[in-house]
Amino acid sequence: MKRESVLFVFLAICLTFLLLSSGCTEQQPSGDGGEVRIGVVASMTGAASTTGKDIWQSAELAAEEINAKGGIYVKELGRSVPVRLVQGDDESTREGGQKAVSKLITQDKVDVLVGGYSSAVVSAHQAIVAEYRVPYIISGGSSTSVSHRNDIDTSYMFFHRPNTDDSGEASILFVDEVVRPALIGKFGFSEDRPLKLAVIYQDSPFGKGQLDAVKNVIAARNLRIEIIAEEPFKMGESDFRTVLTSVKAKNPDMIYSVTFLNELVPMTQQARRDVGLNTLILAIENNDDPDYYKGVGVYGDGQVMESRFSPYAVPRGSTEMATRQFLANFDKKYGGFAGMMGAATYESVYITKEAIEKAGSLDKAKVRDALATLSMPQMMEIMKGGVISFSPDFRESKFDLYVVQLAMDQASGEPRPFIVWPDNLKDREFVVPDWYSPGSS
Amino acid sequence: MDGTIGILSQVAFWGLYSGCIYILLATGLNLIFGVMKIVNFAHGEFLMLGTYITFFLFVISGFNPYVLLVGSIPILIIVGVIVERLCFRPILGTGKLNEIFISLGLIYIFQNLVALIWTDEWRSMRSPFADILINLGPLQLPLDYLIIITVTAMILVSLYLFLQKTALGRAIRAASQNRRGAMLMGVNVERVDMLTFGIGAGLAGAAGTLWAVSGQVFNPYMGSIPAIKGFAIIILGGLGSIPGAIIGGLAIGMVENFTAFTLGGSWKDAVSFILLIVVLVIRPTGLFGEAEE
Repeated sequence: MKRESVLFVFLAICLTFLLLSSGCTEQQPSGDGGEVRIGVVASMTGAASTTGKDIWQSAELAAEEINAKGGIYVKELGRSVPVRLVQGDDESTREGGQKAVSKLITQDKVDVLVGGYSSAVVSAHQAIVAEYRVPYIISGGSSTSVSHRNDIDTSYMFFHRPNTDDSGEASILFVDEVVRPALIGKFGFSEDRPLKLAVIYQDSPFGKGQLDAVKNVIAARNLRIEIIAEEPFKMGESDFRTVLTSVKAKNPDMIYSVTFLNELVPMTQQARRDVGLNTLILAIENNDDPDYYKGVGVYGDGQVMESRFSPYAVPRGSTEMATRQFLANFDKKYGGFAGMMGAATYESVYITKEAIEKAGSLDKAKVRDALATLSMPQMMEIMKGGVISFSPDFRESKFDLYVVQLAMDQASGEPRPFIVWPDNLKDREFVVPDWYSPGSS
Repeated sequence: MDGTIGILSQVAFWGLYSGCIYILLATGLNLIFGVMKIVNFAHGEFLMLGTYITFFLFVISGFNPYVLLVGSIPILIIVGVIVERLCFRPILGTGKLNEIFISLGLIYIFQNLVALIWTDEWRSMRSPFADILINLGPLQLPLDYLIIITVTAMILVSLYLFLQKTALGRAIRAASQNRRGAMLMGVNVERVDMLTFGIGAGLAGAAGTLWAVSGQVFNPYMGSIPAIKGFAIIILGGLGSIPGAIIGGLAIGMVENFTAFTLGGSWKDAVSFILLIVVLVIRPTGLFGEAEE
């Protein structure tokens, strides 16, 4: 019995150590008031942990850069103060997000929140932010059901991302302007043949928002695109074989996928490898992450993705230098490439700096007002009009989006993206892959 | 018509594949419950460990991942034995609440340990047979899945022979049928517990290896959902019944896939649990379960 007690104590120590070691990675605030505390809402554990780590590391990089230059000048204090980041792990769940945000606001007493990824998770903790009125720059939560909701006060929430309508519109315009003509040209289809599109979407506000956006754009512009299948799947799914078999039976010309990174990789692999569905899969921007290119391997060759920040395809122009610098700094610090969510969070920390300096105060209402009237030059992501500002209605920033096509890179053994749309940004022309089979004529 | 049969056969094949993973997981779970009457919520973490051990051995050795079953199963058996000795034996018979909290603690320990060692990024691996397709009538099937189904059948036959033909297997069956009676007949039930737990963990490890080889992604937190399915299967098939776990696993695999095909992927869990409820209403002990003494 004594030996068993010793074993129990040993086990308890191990458990305590592991729990503590997994949850204490944030920079703890000193609590002396001489700092700007930014709460970073990131999925450090759970299904979206890859993206969460990207968010946190990019925020860290921005904070370090700002602190290296003296911090954020707060006029009310008459001096510059350093940035302190506090990590809020939403555990990739609604409940985890509520706990994390509550703690960041009530215990860590953050001045501003940044981050947020899944629309479902963000929508669950918005009410807490509304109640405590903390400025929150959200770089995820792309569903319009998150940013256009009117059941709570969202006036302290600012959305630094395209919403599902924006990305849905860009993606469908690419399909209409580029893919459909390419298929007509290659396979000799008649000009009035509609492109047969299957939509496989995550059964979440994010997925449903994208599906609605796709339908709305097709209807509003009277496009020759026919949706022949709508297949929802549960968040976190990794087995798409039956859903893809069902889609294959309907002979699509293309699949529009609304997924997270950990869902897109198996879906793409299973489509071609297991089900023999040799069709194009158009993915959404949140998947433009180095882990996608590494994970999808040869099955990514020829596939397409709507994007606003690509680690391997930097658009030429005024944002190119800043992007390359960010990627180099990130690689130097963490040994790898940042993804789109990292870039948006990095920018969000700088937006916070700009807003606080404009407000001259850490007063939350003043920071909110500064964000509402903010107009700062674009950084890495290409913004409409070249400036980061938030729309007066739903406080959303507006992006110039683009589409990349992947091509195998023999040196790295991974596919790499090239911008193929729109014309003013493209690196090369879109090509119909050799392995591609269209739907029935 | 041929096309429809072909598609339905393909869906049935995916159901069979899913069922194989579930069968291995649920058989181990049921074996442990049958002998020790404990509920181990951390059983999905053994599957997760199986994926990582396979991945690790694959990276360092470059061996065919199916051969790595020879490594992952024994390692998981050892892990299972250690867990039984350290965690479950001391609390055996002290109440279900202790078992629940011990297994919840184990979930955190295993998840965090794996995240510390291998990070919590999603990972996947590629089978050397990934591009090989076999024509079977109207079906064109990837070789990997045929191997997975064959390997699962071989493991189940081996388990059957072990339980029926060896002294240790008879001891396990005796302890499962009547623990006190087995003790009175000279069976060392503590040794049987340890072995049973090890075998159960080994079967989950095998499921993990096959999960990874099939190209499914995995990360340290992926074990929870399969574990919930595993529990649903053993309740459906009957607590403690190995044939029940096999039939239940196949049933859930088929139902999930045909539901995804007909109603959509977001319905598959709901319909599986509706099936579970219907079976329990009609037969409260599950398909192959026996009433308590």
